[in-house]
Amino acid sequence: MLTIENLHAGIEEKAILKGIDLRINAGEVHAIMGPNGSGKSTLAHILAGRDGYQVSDGAVNYLGDNLLELEVEQRAQRGLFLAMQYPVELPGVNNMSFLRESLNAIRKARGDEEIDAVSFMKLVRAKAKQVKLDDKLLKRPVNVGFSGGEKKRNEILQMAVLEPRLAILDETDSGLDIDALRTVADGVNMLRSEERALLVVTHYQRLLEYIQPDFVHVLAAGRIIRSGGKELALELEEKGYGWLLNEAAA
Amino acid sequence: MNLESYRQIAQRAIQSLPSEHGDWLIEKRLAAIRQMSDLGIPDARQEAWRYTSVEGLTAKTFQFDNLVLDATFDSPELSPLNEPVAARLVFIDGIYNPALSVGDGQHGCKITSLRSAMAEGDQSVLLSVAKLSGVGDHLFTALNMATVQDGAVIKLSPGVIIEHPVELLHITTNRSDSHGRQLRHLVELDKGASVSLIERYLSISDDTDYFNNVVCEISLAEGAELRHQRLQQEGELAYHLSNVHVELGQGARYQAVNAALGGAWSRTELHNGFSGKDAELDVAGLYAAGDGQLTDFHLDVDHAVPHCTSRENFKGILYGAGRAVFDGLIQVQVDAQQSEAHLHNANLMLSTQAEVDTKPQLVILADDVKCSHGTSVGQLDQEALFYLRSRGIDAAQARRILCLGFVGEIIDKFETPSLREQINSDLLQRMRF
Repeated sequence: MLTIENLHAGIEEKAILKGIDLRINAGEVHAIMGPNGSGKSTLAHILAGRDGYQVSDGAVNYLGDNLLELEVEQRAQRGLFLAMQYPVELPGVNNMSFLRESLNAIRKARGDEEIDAVSFMKLVRAKAKQVKLDDKLLKRPVNVGFSGGEKKRNEILQMAVLEPRLAILDETDSGLDIDALRTVADGVNMLRSEERALLVVTHYQRLLEYIQPDFVHVLAAGRIIRSGGKELALELEEKGYGWLLNEAAA
Repeated sequence: MNLESYRQIAQRAIQSLPSEHGDWLIEKRLAAIRQMSDLGIPDARQEAWRYTSVEGLTAKTFQFDNLVLDATFDSPELSPLNEPVAARLVFIDGIYNPALSVGDGQHGCKITSLRSAMAEGDQSVLLSVAKLSGVGDHLFTALNMATVQDGAVIKLSPGVIIEHPVELLHITTNRSDSHGRQLRHLVELDKGASVSLIERYLSISDDTDYFNNVVCEISLAEGAELRHQRLQQEGELAYHLSNVHVELGQGARYQAVNAALGGAWSRTELHNGFSGKDAELDVAGLYAAGDGQLTDFHLDVDHAVPHCTSRENFKGILYGAGRAVFDGLIQVQVDAQQSEAHLHNANLMLSTQAEVDTKPQLVILADDVKCSHGTSVGQLDQEALFYLRSRGIDAAQARRILCLGFVGEIIDKFETPSLREQINSDLLQRMRF
C-alpha cells in the first residue's frame, strides 16, 4: 500500500529525514516510535502533504501513485488520513457540516454519490457514540472550545466516518488521560481490517498497549534504526531509547 | 454631473410631482435643494469621504424622472423567504407595487407607502419625515429629500407586538438602467411596541446600471424594540447608498444586522443616538467585495444620555481587487455616565490587490464608562487551510468554507433562516477563487 524508499527531507536547509525506508501492506499496523526531534511528526506531515518541507531525495509510492506529487486533498480523497497531534480550531465552521463536506468530497472523488443529510446524520450519530464524543460537539464549530481529549476524539470520529485506507495517527496519545486513551484506541481498533493499514506515530509505548502493532520501528535522527515486532515497544518502555541510540552510534 | 445639474434635476423632479392634494413635504424639499448648494459634491478632503470616491457616481448621468408603476412586472419571487411575514411591501424600481405586496397590518399599526401618505396628505406621517435625518447632511441625502417619491411607512401604536417580520423588498429591473431611485422609509414604534423588519435589495440582472439612494428613519419610543435585518445583494453595476437613522428612547432596544454583498459601489451610513437611558443598541454587519467593488460602512453612535449600551461588530472579506472602507465612531458625552460601548471591525484579505481602510474611533468624555474598540486585518490561516484539505476538501472550497466561518457569527445574527441560507449561497457564488 505504502512504500517509502530512501526518503530525505527537511525544512529549508535543515535535514530532518535522512533516508527512510518503510513498507506498509494492507491489513498491517505499524508503529513509529522515537525520541523527540527524531523526525516522527515530519514523516507524518510529509505523507499528508503539509507545506514547508523539502524532499531532497527518495520516493513514496501510495496505491500505485507517486504520493509526493499529489495535492493534499487528492491524498485524502485516495484514502490517506492524518489524525493530527494538534487538531486545528475552525471558528464559525460547523463540525457536522465540515464532516459532511469532507465525506462528500471524498465520495465524489471516488465516483460515489453524495450522502444525503438524513443518512449522514444517522451515520455520524452512530460513530460519535462509538468514540464517546458528546453529540453537542457536533453542532459546535470544529474543535473550538473542545478539551484536549475531545479534540482527539473528534479526529477519531472523522477517521471513523471517512474510513481511510491508510490512517496515520500523529501522537494521538499526547495529552490524553487513561480513559480518553482507551476510547481513542477502541475507536482505532474498530477500524482495523484487512483492507486498511495504520501508521501510529508515538513517543510512548502506552498507546501501543491498546493498539497492538504488527511492526514497531524506531526512528532516531532521521533514520529507522531498528524494526521489530510489538515486543520492541516493550523493550523500549523498559530501557528507554538510550541503548538503541548508543547501539546505532557504535 | 456637477452640482448645478443635480440641483436642476431636483427642481424638475419637484415640479413634476403630483400635487393635487398639496405637497406637505414641499418646504423640506426646497430646504434640501438649498442645502445641496451649501454642501457641494463630497470629496476626499472631507473626512467622511476620504477613502470613498464619488467620482464614478457623479460621472454617470442618471435620470431621476417621475416614477410610474409598472403593473406588468409580476415576478417578485426572486429568492423568496420560506418564513411567513406579517406584511411585505414590494418596491419595483423604487415604487411601491400594491399588487405584489401582502398584508396591510393589523389593529394598532399602520403599514403603508409614503406615496399614498403623500397622496392622502397624511400629516401624522409627513410631519415625521426628516425629523431624524434632517433635510440632508450631504449632497445625496439632500437629493433624496428633495426628490423622494416613495418608501415605506410603518407605525406601531403603544404596546403593539407583531410576531412575524415586516419585509421591505426592493427589486430593480432593467427599466432602471441609467436611473437614480430615491426611497425614504419611516419606522415609528410607540411605547413598548415591537416588530422585526427585513429590508432587502435585489436586482433582476447584473448589467443594469443604476443608483439606489435610500434614507431610513427609525424612532423607538420608551421600551420599544426593533430587530432589523438588512441585506444588499444588488447587481454588479449598481450604486447603492443607504442612510439609516435610529433614535432610541428610554429602555428601547435596536438590534440590527447588515450584509452588503453586491453593487459596484455600496455605502451604508448608520447614525444612532440615544434619547433615554437604559437603551440597548446592537449593530452587526458583514461585507464582501471583489473585483470592481467598493463597499463602505460609516457608523456613528452618540451616547448623549447615561446608562445605555451599544455593541457594534463588523466583519469583511476582501478578495480580488475588492475595496472596503469601515469608519466607526462612538461618542460618549460628558453626562453619559455608565455607558457601555464596544466597537469591533475585522477584515480578511484574500489577495494582495485587495484594500481596506478601517478607522474605529472612541471619543469618551465621561469618566465612568466601559468601552472598548478594536480592529484587525488578517489573512486565511494556513494551518486551517491544510486541515480542511487534509480531509479531502479542495483548496478553493476550503478557502470559501473558512471565509464563511469568519463571518459566521454575523450571519448567525440574521434571525430569519432563509436569509442566512441566501447569504451563505450568495457568498459562495461570489467568491470565485
